[in-house]
Amino acid sequence: MKAFIREHDGAISAELDRDEALLLQSLASQVSVLLREGNANDPAVIRMLPDAYPGDPASSAEFRRYTASGLIDRKVANADAVIVSLSAAIETGVVRLGSTEATAWLRSLTDIRLSLASRLGIEADDQGPSEDSVLQNLYDWLGFLQNSLVEAVDDRVAPADGDND
Amino acid sequence: MADTIEETTSKERNALDVPWVTLVLNDPVNLMSYVSYVFRSYFGYPAAEAERLMLQVHLTGRAVVATGSREEMERHVEAMHDYGLWATMGKADV
Repeated sequence: MKAFIREHDGAISAELDRDEALLLQSLASQVSVLLREGNANDPAVIRMLPDAYPGDPASSAEFRRYTASGLIDRKVANADAVIVSLSAAIETGVVRLGSTEATAWLRSLTDIRLSLASRLGIEADDQGPSEDSVLQNLYDWLGFLQNSLVEAVDDRVAPADGDND
Repeated sequence: MADTIEETTSKERNALDVPWVTLVLNDPVNLMSYVSYVFRSYFGYPAAEAERLMLQVHLTGRAVVATGSREEMERHVEAMHDYGLWATMGKADV
């Protein structure tokens, strides 16, 4: 897969091959399963639904009671949007995103990277690469992909064309 | 009767006077470009201010990104969790 770019018609696109599309679909799906299962002891789940009130378990629990199901629904919907846009891309070799899909992708890529990071034990900025080179390469690739997507999205809101939406 | 109303109003005002804050904490996963994008697109911060807050998170470990009522801050924290940022809240003086 190459970087996301902004096309002349305003759409955001990236070239990707079939294996890459299937891999991304699988990762998005796995994150949805993690969230749906909602294992409160899973570090990946804890990181995606962190305590709102540090040092105050009661308030954090209450916050979670009111927000967790909505957060999980929206995260799963973002993952579903990624999976759907990749289904079309499996045939064409290109994934094309409108602005709504791009927003879902940015958030879902974040959830996928947070989950992978917890599996890799990434806990500090200055940490060296993991011994699990396959997972580490995957994590790095997703970071590259997400950064290119942020840049492509920013490309649209640049003031050059006077469109500040 | 009048005293009771005044007392209640006074208590409510005191409660409202103590502001809450939304904090974004540093994590090793979220990209600097993405954090800056979130601060611009959600809070509407100008690019330079979003960049300053992002760097504050990155370099010092945390930044206050919003101040206001407890209810408002809970909405912001939930929104940050939607984006996957590590956000918490507390009293402004904490």
